[in-house]
Amino acid sequence: MKKRLLSLSLAVVMSLGLLAGCGNSSGGGGGKSASWKVTCPWAPSGVAAMVSQKAAAKSTEYSDTITLVAEAIAGDAATVNTWVMDTEANDPELVFVGEGLLSITSIIDPSKMQFTQDDFVFVENLYSSIFVLSADKELNINNISELEAFVGQGGEISVAVNGATGSEAFLAASLFGKMGAGDQLKLVAYQSAAEAAQAVAKGETQFAVSHQSQIQETYQQDGVTIVCAFDEKPLENGPFAGVEGVGEYGYPYFRNRCFIMARAGTDEETVAQLKELYGKILADEEVVTWLQDTMLLEVDTMSQEDMDAHVENVKNIVNEYKDIVAG
Amino acid sequence: MLQYIAPATGLLFTLENILWINIGVFVGAVFAAIPGLSVILCVILFLPVTYTMTAIPGMMFLLGIYCAGGYGGSVSAILINTPGTPHAAATMLDGHPLSQQGRTKAALKIALYASTFGGIFSALMLLFLGPQVAKVAAQLGTAEYFMVCVFGLTIIAGVSGKSIIRGLVSACLGLLISCVGTDPMTSYDRFTFGIPRLYLGLDLAVCLIGLFALVEILAKVEKKRGDLHMDTRKIKDDGKITRQEYKRMARPVLMSSIIGVLVGIIPGTGASEASWFSYNTAKNLSKHPEEFGHGSVEGIAAAESANNAVTGATLIPLLTLGIPGDGTVAIMLSALMINGLNPGLSLFTTDGDIMYAIMLGLILVNLFMFLQGKFLTSLFAKVVSIPQEILTPIIVIFCFAGAYSVNENYFDVAVALVFGVLAWVLRKLDLPPVPILLGLVLGRMTETNFRRALLISNGDPSIFVQSIYCKIFLALIIVAVAAIIRGKLKEQKAAKAAASQ
Repeated sequence: MKKRLLSLSLAVVMSLGLLAGCGNSSGGGGGKSASWKVTCPWAPSGVAAMVSQKAAAKSTEYSDTITLVAEAIAGDAATVNTWVMDTEANDPELVFVGEGLLSITSIIDPSKMQFTQDDFVFVENLYSSIFVLSADKELNINNISELEAFVGQGGEISVAVNGATGSEAFLAASLFGKMGAGDQLKLVAYQSAAEAAQAVAKGETQFAVSHQSQIQETYQQDGVTIVCAFDEKPLENGPFAGVEGVGEYGYPYFRNRCFIMARAGTDEETVAQLKELYGKILADEEVVTWLQDTMLLEVDTMSQEDMDAHVENVKNIVNEYKDIVAG
Repeated sequence: MLQYIAPATGLLFTLENILWINIGVFVGAVFAAIPGLSVILCVILFLPVTYTMTAIPGMMFLLGIYCAGGYGGSVSAILINTPGTPHAAATMLDGHPLSQQGRTKAALKIALYASTFGGIFSALMLLFLGPQVAKVAAQLGTAEYFMVCVFGLTIIAGVSGKSIIRGLVSACLGLLISCVGTDPMTSYDRFTFGIPRLYLGLDLAVCLIGLFALVEILAKVEKKRGDLHMDTRKIKDDGKITRQEYKRMARPVLMSSIIGVLVGIIPGTGASEASWFSYNTAKNLSKHPEEFGHGSVEGIAAAESANNAVTGATLIPLLTLGIPGDGTVAIMLSALMINGLNPGLSLFTTDGDIMYAIMLGLILVNLFMFLQGKFLTSLFAKVVSIPQEILTPIIVIFCFAGAYSVNENYFDVAVALVFGVLAWVLRKLDLPPVPILLGLVLGRMTETNFRRALLISNGDPSIFVQSIYCKIFLALIIVAVAAIIRGKLKEQKAAKAAASQ
């Protein structure tokens, strides 16, 4: 009995001790050299996590006082909720939020968010990604005019998207909705962006909305055609250079952006230092080339006003087309 | 291909690569042996290390973790009846009973040999048949995925113990639990009760800790002290595997390696599914199915060779089509992309030497895993001789630390505790826990693919029998169900005969 009690006590004491230690954050802020933990609330294999790791690796080259430590904890709103609860102004912690949380979840499912935009202070935009619409090769649709002609024929339009209510779903809804084909649109949700990009090549759907990097290999293997880009102008770089932007034809669009945020109330000087550091990293020639050639992303540094405008633009699109997406 | 082999060999056989392979193998084996600390978590933690390396040493390090993790999960499954990783759950069914028979070293050795064979088999498949196999796998769509899941669910009968009904009740519970979280097709919440953390669903690794590890701790509390100690004096654990046992293992190892490769190349499936499929197949084809669940060498060999055969296979769609075969490989993709390599067939012409170096490296990783495993086996085997008063608190610590580390929050620790209590109640009701695990593994995938397939076909169920692949899977399901019925009839006949005697 004594041994059993001893064993039980040992387990309880060790567990409590260990778990008490688990909650401590990276710390180190405020001193001469501070480590800033950068939490990416999306998949560790995703684009944002990769770019964050690259930025973290570069941070020591450009600052003696700030070292970025990248971390990815998938969970989207849940991860940001925890981050907001666990941090205070001036904590050496940064987090990513995008239009998905600030413009889509806040309208479609606000109960999932235990934070608002006021809980953050904007530091910088990490990158911009322009989504593209790919089509089943057999449809032979290569530009917006051909797409309009196809939609004009009537009939069901199926589009593969990543997640039921993600950015891709709203881009598809806005494009086809604006064409007057919202009631013909069938959004087929997949579990990942890669799966959605593949669906069109398998013939499961007629179209897919995806990041450029996710459809690149399928395109190069002649599995799909690229119809248009969700941007104002034609694409300038990469394998899809010259692909028309939907903005030229008056259709709504937005880019996918990744905003780096500090906790609201953080000193302006500290935020300015962080912005300067990210500015230097994002101007690094190696980083620019890598983003452009490998990740098919763009450096797109922004101000608070730019961010607000982006969030507002996406909110407008979500409000207008949410009935098509969420039913 | 041949023009790349020589330069690839030159790139691969450097001291730096060999060193990183060995570090990766060691880290992966130890990490995966600890319940809750999954391979994917280990890869995430160590990924930043690779960002300062070039592509080959970076990938060698991660592949070392990945492959050794496939084997490492079996260690705790065999030693303490708790799978270190979800894919080692099938190994546990026979590994721990064999260990309890005083053959811990033998069980660990079988797991190591089978893992090595499966790993090398899949590495060779990747090297010689990668692009061809990937093109076939890329044709599998939503309907085919659903049929794979249904085939997977037939395994429930094999792991239900004496009563299929009880197994089905457990499996339904698992399927129900897998519904918790955001509906994948509509984004509406299900069974979340307003708890924000439940939006994400329940993490398999966390559930596993409760279902298999914490329940054992609770069960130990009930036992008398004398029952807790294994009488090691009578046991002479020389780790010997007889020639007869080697013979018996040969067929399941080969079959399971093939199954592991086939499952691995299908993106979205993984080592857990492969090990269960193989375990079930090995049981159905075995001359001694009655030994399964009681320390069958075939059972351990089948599960372990399958989950390691997945390692090379998941790289096939990644390297040839740019589609990660599973979550861990998706993270490894970063190690390539950070070095400016965007995987796909085009990379085989632009950077063929690097691609072939990685593929050849996978064989090397498995060989080093074998060598390290040989050394570590005797070390691991000593765990069973640690007094329960010391071992049990250590297991509890690892369980809680593991549960916390999955998403770095205390909520998961609470979930693990709830599952521990749930498993204890189920044990009292004589409901088997393994079908719950199967329900959790296959539930979301089954549901999502079923609903998506019907959405694509506008509600027409004939989509499930349209393609040739669907027909093949349907035939497999029919064969599996027939085998279950035949097995049960045999059991009943044997029971009647025994009763009449």
